[in-house]
Amino acid sequence: MTAAASSETRNGLDRLKDLKRLSFVDVILWALRIGVLIVVVGGSIGTLIKGRYSMEQWFDFFMFGLTIGGIYALIALGYTMVYGILRLINFAHGDITMTGAFSAYFLARGLDRSGFLDANPVISMILIMGLAMIICSAIALAVERICYRPFRHVATLAPLICAIGASFFLQHSFRGMYGSSIRAYPDPEWMKGQVNFLSFEVPLYQFVVIGISLAAMLFLYLVVQRTKMGTAMRAVSEDRDAASMMGIDVNKVILFTFILGGCMAGIGGVLYCMVYKQIYFYMGFLPGVKAFSAAVLGGIGNIPGAMLGGLFLGVVESIGPALFLDGIGIAAPYQLRDLIAFTMLVMVLIFRPQGILGERLATKRA
Amino acid sequence: MKLKKFLKGTVVAATFAAAAWTLPQVQAEETKGPVTDEIGVVMIPKGAPIFIGGYWTISGPDTALGLDQQRGAEIALDDWDGMVAGHKVKFVVEDSQCNAEGGQTAATKLASNQNMVVVVGPDCSSAGTPGGPILWKAGIPSVATSTTAPTLTAADRPEGLHGYLRTIYNDLSAGAADAEYFFNEMKCTTMATVHDGSPYAEQLVRVAEGRFTELGGKVVAAEAVTPTDVDMRPLLTGIATTKPCVLYFPIFVASAAQIVRQSSEIKGMEGTTIIGGSALMAPGFLEAVGDSAVGFRFTNPDASDDAFGERYPQLVKQYEEKYGEKPIQAFHANAYDGMAVALMGIEKVAKTDADGNTYIGRKALRDALFATKDYDGIGGKISCNEHGDCAGFKFAVYEFTNGDPSTFEIGTNPKKIHP
Repeated sequence: MTAAASSETRNGLDRLKDLKRLSFVDVILWALRIGVLIVVVGGSIGTLIKGRYSMEQWFDFFMFGLTIGGIYALIALGYTMVYGILRLINFAHGDITMTGAFSAYFLARGLDRSGFLDANPVISMILIMGLAMIICSAIALAVERICYRPFRHVATLAPLICAIGASFFLQHSFRGMYGSSIRAYPDPEWMKGQVNFLSFEVPLYQFVVIGISLAAMLFLYLVVQRTKMGTAMRAVSEDRDAASMMGIDVNKVILFTFILGGCMAGIGGVLYCMVYKQIYFYMGFLPGVKAFSAAVLGGIGNIPGAMLGGLFLGVVESIGPALFLDGIGIAAPYQLRDLIAFTMLVMVLIFRPQGILGERLATKRA
Repeated sequence: MKLKKFLKGTVVAATFAAAAWTLPQVQAEETKGPVTDEIGVVMIPKGAPIFIGGYWTISGPDTALGLDQQRGAEIALDDWDGMVAGHKVKFVVEDSQCNAEGGQTAATKLASNQNMVVVVGPDCSSAGTPGGPILWKAGIPSVATSTTAPTLTAADRPEGLHGYLRTIYNDLSAGAADAEYFFNEMKCTTMATVHDGSPYAEQLVRVAEGRFTELGGKVVAAEAVTPTDVDMRPLLTGIATTKPCVLYFPIFVASAAQIVRQSSEIKGMEGTTIIGGSALMAPGFLEAVGDSAVGFRFTNPDASDDAFGERYPQLVKQYEEKYGEKPIQAFHANAYDGMAVALMGIEKVAKTDADGNTYIGRKALRDALFATKDYDGIGGKISCNEHGDCAGFKFAVYEFTNGDPSTFEIGTNPKKIHP
């Protein structure tokens, strides 16, 4: 036997061994990847060939997605920052969002009834969002103090359970205080206009929502990257003990993180209500779950990741049913919207377990 | 160690035994006092109350739907002076939450009371579908008051629903009437539909689609949402591409409100009339929609005085006196009739012995309820067939005239626009 032949045999044997090492789970995962790819590619081709939707409608879908995605991103920032600093999933964050938006509802309704909201849109929005931010931050701080701090040095699931408990507590306190009916958020005249953008007619509120979310995210990014407190936050998230030895007041940093997260939640909650016009005690749960998924999707602990994850999830939710499912003739595709969003989440995590931008976390934190 | 194992085993066995004992079960043939019954007899000692249950939606966005019916049933009970067969009635009400989980929990709670004789309600088909069988398994018949899904009283319904009857119409009539209105009155030949996966909405939509196609119309889009969906814009954009003449969505308050608010923003929906269903006859809907409700139409059983029985104005008067407001939804008369049918059934089969104790045969009561014929009910004539359908259907279309919830009053806001 020549050397070349024997090396070929060895290669063949190695490959066989590799195959043997392929577990049942691997096979299922590969089948899932291929299956989803077939649905996505086949469905998209089918839909585009059918030509049911015009270019303008695709653009509308994209803008709907960016609008809700921007809100998911704002809420996701709260999850991701707290995780970055404390390695804790703050499950109550979705409901903290609700508390701000619910409290601001009463102010918004008052301003609307007095005509102030229509007459002074900018001042009114600053007041409404300001109130929501204050309430969200205050409740976030209270939750941190009561539910998380006692467990900070305990390596168990207790803080997670406590977070879920806090979530129920907030929901049902608001139900108890304000009842379980759905209330209509005001619908000011100035939000009903249309704007011409790239020769497409786009509702003004979409620009307002996307603009405010992007501005808030940029502000947050600058705070974290350019200020002393932001540097301290990054230091604590790298290594809490080392940061503490360098003279950083870890407690202060954690409080600051909860305040920042609360502010973003306050803005996100009000925007959510301005777009969907409804508020009730349970409204924080679903956006909370979606925003948490967005944070995981982008790479939990990573701030630009949460923004990207939120926008990605929003756009997939909006475009997905029409693009992927219409083409393969699935009836009533919109009820599968959440399924599509979460399948995409699973797919991204199968291909990139650390999330889209989660690279830097992979070695040290995960 | 052995002792520990033994103790553990004993605890597990005891738990299972306790669970099995507490599960409500239909007993075999039983004789108590003068009554023998195939599935069991309830004995009510002299002076003790007779338990009647009720379960409706009394929390959440659809509260008006359930609360209105609870009130209707309570007024019926007042008309009987709170007494039946010589005993005081203890009326126990649970929350059906208008969903399957709520229905299951409420029915289980009611069924766990072994003295429960009959249950009035629920209001939502999604709650009645699991609730009815749980109650009937415990030998308790249910008189539903606004569950309209066809499967609940279909000839081939499961055994568990054999104790289930209703003093409300069947959606086989409502869906067909809706489709006929769209095709004949609105002159629409294309229709899009949206349901929310609940048995009520899905079955109603299917019936309407079938009838609409039969008439020569075309269903251009059949979509579905989940009751918690808030972003309807992509859905409506998709529907707009098919340019339907009418968009029919007989779903509940939360998601219907989103469709109403968002449809005006969607390009391509300008030529489409949107029409909801009877769950939207509620002040809560105005609370959720605000001013966008003005001009919005929905189909509903006719709730005007002349559509009901002669005694309806009297019921409205009692309603206002007792609760300080006008009726808040459309099914209080059906609930009144439901309670009346239940009370009459009990009167018919209850037997009292010399000591003053009363005995009610469970199967006998079920049969007596199903045998109700030509009762002049407040919601109309009540005559039950062998499957449990007891009431007819009178079609109407309503339109909201004001977005302020405090102006809600059936007849003016919303006002009847057809027939």
